[in-house]
Amino acid sequence: MVKLSHRTSEPVTESVLSVKDLSVILSREGRPSRVLDGISFDMFPGEIIALVGESGSGKTSIGLTLQGLLPHEYLPQIAGSIRLAGIELVGAGRRTWQSARRHLVRAISQDPMGALNPTMTIRRQMRESNGRSEGSIEDWLSRTGLPDPDRIADALPHRLSGGQRQRVLIALAMMARPKLLIADEPTTALDVTMQAQILDLLRVLARDQQTAILFVTHDLTVAASLADRILVLYAGRIVEMGRMQDVARNAAHPYSAGLLAARFDLDSDRRRPLPTLPSEHTPSIRVENACAYATRCPIAQPDCTAIRPPLEPASVHGGAVACLHHEQTPFLSAQRADAKPWPAQAIQETAALRLSNVGKTYPTGARSFWGRRQPQPILRSINLSIKLGECVALVGESGAGKSTLLRIAAGLVVPESGTVTRFDKLPPQVVFQDPVASLTPWLTIGEQIGERLRAVSPDSDYGRRRVGEAIKLVGLDPVLMDALPAEMSVGQCQRAVLARAVIVPPRLLLCDEPISAMDVSLAATTLNLLSDLRRRLDMAMLFVTHDLAAARIIADRIAVLKDGELVEIADPDAIIAAPQSAYTRSLIAAMPSLQAGGGR
Amino acid sequence: MLTYLTKSIVGAVVVLLVMSFIVFGLQSIIPADPARAIAGPNAPPETVEAMREQLGLDDPAVVQYGRFLLRLAHADLGTSVRTRQPVSDDIQQFLPATLELGLASIALGVALAGVMAALQFLIPGSAGIRLAMVGVGSTPIFLSALLLSYFFWFQLDWLPGAGRLTYRDFAGPTGLNVIDGILVGRPEVSVDALLHMILPALALAQPIGVAVGRSLNGALHDVMSQAYVRTARGKGLSETKVLLRHGLRNAATAPLSMLGLQVRLLFGNLLVVERVFGWPGLGLYTVQAFASADLPAVLGVAIVFGILYILVNTLIEIGQSMADPRINL
Ligand SMILES: Nc1ncnc2c1ncn2[C@@H]1O[C@H](COP(=O)(O)OP(=O)(O)O)[C@@H](O)[C@H]1O
Ligand code: SF4
Ligand SMILES: [Mg+2]
Repeated sequence: MVKLSHRTSEPVTESVLSVKDLSVILSREGRPSRVLDGISFDMFPGEIIALVGESGSGKTSIGLTLQGLLPHEYLPQIAGSIRLAGIELVGAGRRTWQSARRHLVRAISQDPMGALNPTMTIRRQMRESNGRSEGSIEDWLSRTGLPDPDRIADALPHRLSGGQRQRVLIALAMMARPKLLIADEPTTALDVTMQAQILDLLRVLARDQQTAILFVTHDLTVAASLADRILVLYAGRIVEMGRMQDVARNAAHPYSAGLLAARFDLDSDRRRPLPTLPSEHTPSIRVENACAYATRCPIAQPDCTAIRPPLEPASVHGGAVACLHHEQTPFLSAQRADAKPWPAQAIQETAALRLSNVGKTYPTGARSFWGRRQPQPILRSINLSIKLGECVALVGESGAGKSTLLRIAAGLVVPESGTVTRFDKLPPQVVFQDPVASLTPWLTIGEQIGERLRAVSPDSDYGRRRVGEAIKLVGLDPVLMDALPAEMSVGQCQRAVLARAVIVPPRLLLCDEPISAMDVSLAATTLNLLSDLRRRLDMAMLFVTHDLAAARIIADRIAVLKDGELVEIADPDAIIAAPQSAYTRSLIAAMPSLQAGGGR
Repeated sequence: MLTYLTKSIVGAVVVLLVMSFIVFGLQSIIPADPARAIAGPNAPPETVEAMREQLGLDDPAVVQYGRFLLRLAHADLGTSVRTRQPVSDDIQQFLPATLELGLASIALGVALAGVMAALQFLIPGSAGIRLAMVGVGSTPIFLSALLLSYFFWFQLDWLPGAGRLTYRDFAGPTGLNVIDGILVGRPEVSVDALLHMILPALALAQPIGVAVGRSLNGALHDVMSQAYVRTARGKGLSETKVLLRHGLRNAATAPLSMLGLQVRLLFGNLLVVERVFGWPGLGLYTVQAFASADLPAVLGVAIVFGILYILVNTLIEIGQSMADPRINL
């Protein structure tokens, strides 16, 4: 373990958390697998550490291990040491853990919707939590910026919005005045504006209460806007650690460098493909005595698969890195810059899709005596047309009506008023948020892609050739033609869904938040693939997202939807340079950026 | 809440109207001649004819139905062919025994369900408990009633297996012997009544316990892996508090529905069990009424069970809304 020079300018403080050589083995269906492997780090009072890595790297497992809440049906085997406020927790009894959870370590999680008991008022849930708190429940609620804390305290969780619930959860955690707060992707489910407010709140709490915050995220930009230090996790191992600014500027590990390069924001170059990480994580390799990143690493050498790289001082910054050849990392970025620009896309004047005065209501209001609900307007007189070959991104916060509009465009929902005209006679193809869920679990990928070839049997030579072409078009390995969805990664499933959509190229492709559940690198890969496909197949596209940066990269025009109304629609760079509506301005202001401090 | 009560009363009236219509329809379809039945098999035709006149059996159907409703509204369910008494008097006499047994079975069933869910929860994946539950759950009630009565009464003679009470002439104010024994200051009567109830109540409680227990166990299993339970554990609460405060209440809705369903099945099971244990309640009364084609008696009991069912359903729904305040009655 490498000692990091920590905040040399400040007086030396005692660490609140000291993790040494922590390893965790979980067993699924009798098969043990090492989820965390030799993790060591320290945290100091008031410090915010970002824990960054792609999904499956073990971030959540670290958080659960620190709380002693790994699900016992997975028979967790924990080795090493966790000292929290001087108390050793590995091997500690139930009482010690309970008291540690009560007074020392608290957590907020990714899913504010599910994390509050639906049948208990906020007040009762908070009363259970108080620990050594002074100050009333209302105090704590208002400290998190919740308006009208009296009303919220007596409400049941389902009356609150996602952002409000996340604040309640933060209040719930902070009123115990814990030494350590674990925040596991607390803003992933929230809109950017809400995200910015929650990040501000965490920053203030860390400063005022001297709580150490372990902030789990796959988003480096969010990490950079918040954290003092960063831990980069790959396949259950720490591959790099250091001061946030140092790593953001000069990553020493090829994986961190790749993650940084794959990140996109409002300033990324949208004329050419985004840089991405090479290929995807292959979880099945044996890595006991090797670098776990070797299968993907562009600078791997033969020795990388012979020994496990130790965590040692980095040459480019004051932190540590686990890479045998980290002095080569700086040359990586030079190799990446020269991607060829996208070819120009021909946009015709004919509309691929035209919505005129479209309105839609859903019965969601209060129930009347006869059990009928009041209709609530979801969309109000929407006028939108997408030209052949054009991509329009629809941006708005959750609940704005984006998905309803997309479903109307797809013909899946019938609007109450207005007309929908499509150029194509065939129904348009829709790509949904969760690629795994949109595939049938018991059909092979080839069968599912071939299904759309109406008159052609997918088993015929011609059918198999068409499927093979579609698979190649989306960059999927042809051997996966006979694989089942469960055998593939999320990224591969996403490619299969796209292959199914474009095997008979539609004139209009509809995408509903296709990247919002993905980590940065996979999101960049998917955006590149969509940009490529629509140019090659000359498709028009409606791309629904709450991510303004993604919208800017993929679209020719951005349409902003707010409370069921289109507030503006224009060229992406024009919108970002000179937003017309207050809502768009707030969206832009809330975008985190790699320069610390957040906001623009 | 007020609208809910109004709604359920309106619902009850509608259900009763529908039932009265069916009952009335049955009366006129079934070939039995009530005039002949009352006058007796050997009465001369004139007497029967006079009886028909008296009963208004020659009036148009609508008039007869109106009269029938009017009588119903006055709790007049007609006269039993077998006992020659007003059906409502018979029901008043036999209902307490059935209520007592039914309530005891529900209580015992819920207790069994709790024990089963707790066992399954504490010893997760125990094949033994699962097997036992499948075995017990798949035994038909007439068989388990017979087995219980055969072993514990006939063979071992540990428990009484016939009738409600050893004290023949005891009669208390409520008709519920266990309570009456305490009310009149004769605790030995209460004990005796309880002992008599054990075997039939066990037989009746068994399907309730298995069904509700399984439903509770399944619901608990789901709930205990929810994110909010992790939040509760994250507060450092003990596992018991997590289970009681956050688990049980959220798991209550499905097992309560199952309990409602089981209570409806209980009405049918009462016929079998009261017959096997010679329990002098509405079930036995109905079985005997069947045997002598005593239509007014059968229909009277059906209406009483209908009302009880609506009552139970309302209680279950109120219980569910108490467990889950999001359910707005
Ligand atoms: N019960 C389990 N048994 C075996 N492996 C598991 C289990 N739960 C999670 N894992 C594995 O542990 C690794 C880390 O998972 P997780 O901590 O959820 O990562 P992250 O939060 O970074 O997405 C993954 O490879 C995942 O597949
Ligand atoms: S050790 Fe080798 S494979 Fe691993 S990151 Fe460094 S260069 Fe790449
Ligand atoms: Mg996670």
